Amino acid sequence: MDYARYSRLSALCVASLIVSGTAGAATQGSLGATSTGSISIGASVPNRVQLSGLTDVSFANQDPATAAASAQNVCVWSNTSTKGYNVTATGSGTANAFTLANGALTVPYSVEWAQTSGQASGTALTTGSALTGLKSTATNALCAAGPSSTASMIVKMSTANLQSMQAATTYTGTLTLVVAPE
Amino acid sequence: MLVVAIETRATALLKESGMGERRAALGARAANRLARLTRSALTFVVAAAALFGVEPGLAASNKVRISNLADVAFGTVANLSVDALQSQSVCVYADTNTSGYNITGIGTGPGGAFQLSSGASSLSYDVMWSSSAGQSSGAQLAPNVPLTGQSSGATQQACNTGPATSASLIVVLRSVSLSSAAAGTYNGSLTLLIGPE
Repeated sequence: MDYARYSRLSALCVASLIVSGTAGAATQGSLGATSTGSISIGASVPNRVQLSGLTDVSFANQDPATAAASAQNVCVWSNTSTKGYNVTATGSGTANAFTLANGALTVPYSVEWAQTSGQASGTALTTGSALTGLKSTATNALCAAGPSSTASMIVKMSTANLQSMQAATTYTGTLTLVVAPE
Repeated sequence: MLVVAIETRATALLKESGMGERRAALGARAANRLARLTRSALTFVVAAAALFGVEPGLAASNKVRISNLADVAFGTVANLSVDALQSQSVCVYADTNTSGYNITGIGTGPGGAFQLSSGASSLSYDVMWSSSAGQSSGAQLAPNVPLTGQSSGATQQACNTGPATSASLIVVLRSVSLSSAAAGTYNGSLTLLIGPE
């Protein structure tokens, strides 16, 4: 009987220790010539990406005999362990096509992406499909420190498409880019 | 009102041998006179102290204590573009003549830096201190450097009576640090050392 009581008491003590072990680690100071206390601090940073540094693209008075291309350096920041990301582009045409329009008149364009800045060409994007396996070198979310840009986005119009356009007519459209962490 | 009982004594230094009755009587009278003077002087001092409102008190022990500390859990910081701040009111007791104290913060980063870690990644944070409770800002602490000139309003070493807390500890994750930190779960500890002043 004593043994049973002892066993119950031991089990209770073990349970108390387990509960104590999961309690907070803050320690309180005692009264003395100096007093020392300590706390634990914890924070979780989720996966995040940011795309910045984008500028509008304008092809003005474009010669239909010469292909048009506009490359720009942008900042893509990713805080994942690999600094990886993917990019998905959608246009404002029918079914998110990469097209510009003026009323019923439309003209296609193409979009390319490179994971380094200063590039005049890259991997062609397909509307709505993610280009995966990209890496960023940004050390700051807005590239305010470290590299000022990390990727290149290139918009192109072929001579064939330029030659299909009506002269002295302005075609407009919107390109949307979504970056996600990997 | 403090009542002080004083027992005064004066003793004539008499030489046992070779001193006549008269000299001994003179010595005894001088001793009594000295005792009366001493008693009068002490009575005057106590009366003057009472008149000017100065009462003799217990000497300060120069002991301090920090308590009521709680762990800081930021959880998942969803918005990395703004500072994340956690403040808590703590009890600092200082039994000094001025209730003064200083505080030193020591983190777990290199050289005591205020840094959290997640594997090889680190996340810096700021520590601020205010000598009044309920504050969300205060003087910034530098690692291992005492912040001096603080004063406590605590009247009991664990704030069990009087004010329940007497100071504020503020921990801040700056957006500039958050937005350059790798994703992950960061942990660290902060040690606070209180010294009397």
